[in-house]
Amino acid sequence: MPLYTESLSHQKIPKISLPRFKDPGEIYRWQRRENLPGYFPFTAGVFPMKRVGEDPTRMFAGEGDPARTNRRFKLLSANSEAKRLSTAFDSVTLYGYDPDRRPDIYGKVGNSGVSVCTLDDVKVLYGGFELCAPNTSVSMTINGPAPIMLAMFLNTAIGQQVDKYTEEKGRQPSDEEYNKIKAMVLENVRGTVQADILKEDQGQNTCIFSIDFALKMMGDIQAYFIENNVRNFYSVSISGYHIAEAGANPISQLAFTMANGFTYLEYYLSRGMPLDSFAPNLSFFFSNGMDPEFTVIGRVARRIWSVALRDKYGASVRSQMLKYHIQTSGRSLHSQDIQFNDIRTTLQALCAIYDNCQSLHTNAFDEAITTPTEESVRRALAIQLIINQEWGLTNNENTYQGSFIVEDLTDLVEEAVLMEYDKITARGGVLGAMETGYQRSKIQEESMYYEMLKHTGEYPIVGVNTFRDPHADGADMLEGASCIDLARATTEEKESQLSRLKEFQSRNADRSSEALARLQKVTLSGGNIFAELMETVKTCSLGQITDALYDVGGQYRRNM
Amino acid sequence: MNDDIQVYRPKNNVRAITATSLFDGHDASINIFRRILQSSGVEVVHLGHSRSVKEVVDAAIEEDAQGIAISSYQGGHMEFFKYMVDLLKEGGAAHIKVFGGGGGVIVPEEIKELEAYGVAKIYSPEDGTRLGLQGIINHMVQLMDYSRADAPLDLSGLSTESKLLTANLITTLEQAKTKGNGHLAKFREALKAKIADRKVPVIGITGTGGAGKSSLTDELILRMLHDLKDTRIAIISADPSRRKTGGALLGDRIRMNAINSPRIYMRSIATRRSHTEIPEALSEVLDVVKAAGYDLVIAETAGIGQGDSHITDLVDLSMYVMTSDFGAASQLEKIDMLDFADLVVVNKFEKRGGEDAVRDVRKQVQRNRSAYAKPANEMPVFGTIASKFNDDGVSALYRTLLDTIKEKTGVAFESSLPRPDTRQSTSKTIIIPPERTRYLAEIAETVRNYHRETESQADAIRRVWHLEETAKSLSGEGLEGDTAVLVPHRLFG
Repeated sequence: MPLYTESLSHQKIPKISLPRFKDPGEIYRWQRRENLPGYFPFTAGVFPMKRVGEDPTRMFAGEGDPARTNRRFKLLSANSEAKRLSTAFDSVTLYGYDPDRRPDIYGKVGNSGVSVCTLDDVKVLYGGFELCAPNTSVSMTINGPAPIMLAMFLNTAIGQQVDKYTEEKGRQPSDEEYNKIKAMVLENVRGTVQADILKEDQGQNTCIFSIDFALKMMGDIQAYFIENNVRNFYSVSISGYHIAEAGANPISQLAFTMANGFTYLEYYLSRGMPLDSFAPNLSFFFSNGMDPEFTVIGRVARRIWSVALRDKYGASVRSQMLKYHIQTSGRSLHSQDIQFNDIRTTLQALCAIYDNCQSLHTNAFDEAITTPTEESVRRALAIQLIINQEWGLTNNENTYQGSFIVEDLTDLVEEAVLMEYDKITARGGVLGAMETGYQRSKIQEESMYYEMLKHTGEYPIVGVNTFRDPHADGADMLEGASCIDLARATTEEKESQLSRLKEFQSRNADRSSEALARLQKVTLSGGNIFAELMETVKTCSLGQITDALYDVGGQYRRNM
Repeated sequence: MNDDIQVYRPKNNVRAITATSLFDGHDASINIFRRILQSSGVEVVHLGHSRSVKEVVDAAIEEDAQGIAISSYQGGHMEFFKYMVDLLKEGGAAHIKVFGGGGGVIVPEEIKELEAYGVAKIYSPEDGTRLGLQGIINHMVQLMDYSRADAPLDLSGLSTESKLLTANLITTLEQAKTKGNGHLAKFREALKAKIADRKVPVIGITGTGGAGKSSLTDELILRMLHDLKDTRIAIISADPSRRKTGGALLGDRIRMNAINSPRIYMRSIATRRSHTEIPEALSEVLDVVKAAGYDLVIAETAGIGQGDSHITDLVDLSMYVMTSDFGAASQLEKIDMLDFADLVVVNKFEKRGGEDAVRDVRKQVQRNRSAYAKPANEMPVFGTIASKFNDDGVSALYRTLLDTIKEKTGVAFESSLPRPDTRQSTSKTIIIPPERTRYLAEIAETVRNYHRETESQADAIRRVWHLEETAKSLSGEGLEGDTAVLVPHRLFG
């Protein structure tokens, strides 16, 4: 692999630029604090070089019914060899309900995400994508009902291979052959399910089951992954994005998120899972906004994680490597002067790419008011393409190294995070702090602070509280909105979801109640709930399953 | 911008419901709005995130609110708000004003359509810029500032089916009690006549703030609904008013998962001028729900201090809820309610010190009652984990509660639930083992040590290097032989 690229001016631009220290003390210090990308403590990145032939870009889609989202996926990924799909579900799905004709449910079916409630839906959603291919990777943004959706996804991947087998051999596989196919799929399938229940309680609020029960199911997923050698799928995406969107500043985002990560780690350890068998299945997800601290979010996360994993937990090198996804900040986008949003997103994306994130989603400018349209999504994608392909400095892969301010920021943010750990410890750890609503109230406080500064104009936002469009005349939102074609799910799509659900339920009517009873029995006897869900989803819909689990695991109780 | 805007103070007792729309977890802005409502003197029943239209409308009716404020960022707002207007009309509660906001998600044409349909006002980001937050709140409070203290003296329509009337009567009696006007006596009389000699047991629940009274109440209700098929239950839950602003956060309803049943009526009341844990009009409020025909009443006090023993004058039996967090055992001698409570609950039993706490409280109760003939573990003291699903400590408490009701009032509720063979939770779910709870501090220490070591090692290496370079310079000057003295252990070169 060449270590440099050539510019138009025939200069050799190094991919990795090295420090020029002579003082061995300085070199030692640099190696301990920074080091080259790919080397402990991985401050500059967990891999020596960026992946070739696969940009970090994720194609985020989710709208209407599964068929429409499937078409969007195909369109978005048409020009890239790697199929990196990211799925947004509608809020009905995110709360574990089935679509329904009741107005407060009906209005949300297929809006701001795709409606998915059965295995049939998932098959359509990812139809035409080879889910076991090494360059296909599917991410699913869902938390409360994550175990159920994951079971549907894995069944879809298995189903694809079974269908393929059936077509090739002209017959169904035997039980033994089926199990072989299943094992092969589980070992190869690549992707991420968000499934981060701690941040749900702290910021995002899509908890549906009681916290203890939800954590138990997360542990069951991980145990199932270990047992079936699922190595290429992240069992959780430990997320700060929603904490940040709820108003937390970047330090709280990072501190709370990583603290949550260590909590999962401690929980899985307490269940007797060996650290190196699960640590590589953990991944992180952060927001990149406008504040200076966002510049170093990946650097600080990687350094804390690797030092803790190596020096405190004695983990292997693979476990020490923290991998994360970035989404640019939705909260930093505004409905006034809406076209300016792409500029904000561009800066945030540049930061993320300089920081060597594994995966990146750029928001569309119209996300402040609606589900992005095809056109706005294309522009958001262009932001990444321009940075990755046109922007000269990204030919270099350790741009941040050697900058005084970046080093200062790294140390400042790191120490601020560690101080937060001490504060959380004084409250009994992450779970203890959650009980008194510590994280939640801190997020709210920080949100208020931002709103106040935004309101007084002390925190300038161009087009919003300064440099206001003189022609907008108090109705610029209307103007912004009128040039945008509002994406809302159509009545036909909603109706088709309702009839598909009905068809699925009646087709499985004679088997579903038995499957649900079995699921409840496994739950009450302390068995692996996820392993049973792999069977339940074959005959039961999302809403049927969550209802059955409420009765044996308890519903989430809101708090203040 | 309007920073110096005057706060509009309502002339009436204004009550509002706040929540986010169904399947919408974005509660940051509704939390900001509910706080300003409170500080403007409004009594706010906050329902939190993701509430269905029916839940919100039921709450607004039962709480006799003048308005509802909903944030909706997740789409589907047209259907949601219209359905809300419809259900309010259907419930005879069209007077309840509906307010909404959803940032830029609700576009101007949609705002127009919703307001034409009957929504009082949808606030846009432009309204925010123009009016400021307090300006928006002032606008809302002005529209909600009307009296609801106008229930009829004729109680013939009062029943468990007429929740709006029940709610309105409570408002009227609270008002009458405050004003001390002549209505009070007439209403009392009418209520007594309607109750006649029907015996309705009233359970008083009191205890320290944050002990989990509401969660525990919810768990008890859940069991009652499953176990006592036809029983209708009223819950009266008090929260403190702020003396400075007159506003209040009525926050018990948010924790209740079990109350969405036609057999339940729940009313949150602020303590208003009583300045104690017990609202002035509590006894009248209890009479209203008794007269309405509820079979059992639960009254929860505000939980500001160590529990108010005056509650025992108003109820048939009382339960005191606490946690293990009381300090030394001698502190228990100061808790009045340990003398008066029929049942004592140490909730959050899974916490460190839970078992010791239950043991200490049992001994204290034994001393208080001079019940030395009985073993301490037969005292009516329970260790519970209300946050845990199907906790057997709570189930044990539930069975004993029914026994105590019968004992105290003669009213029997027949249970078919098994009676657990324990008075405290037996299975604790351990997520993080107690000896591991300092994990984050340990990680912080590990990282800080790592950096300390880096600095001290770097300094040592630099010293050696300096010596080496010095030696080299000296050698360069031709002073052979000194290197071995200066740098006995060569590290580099």
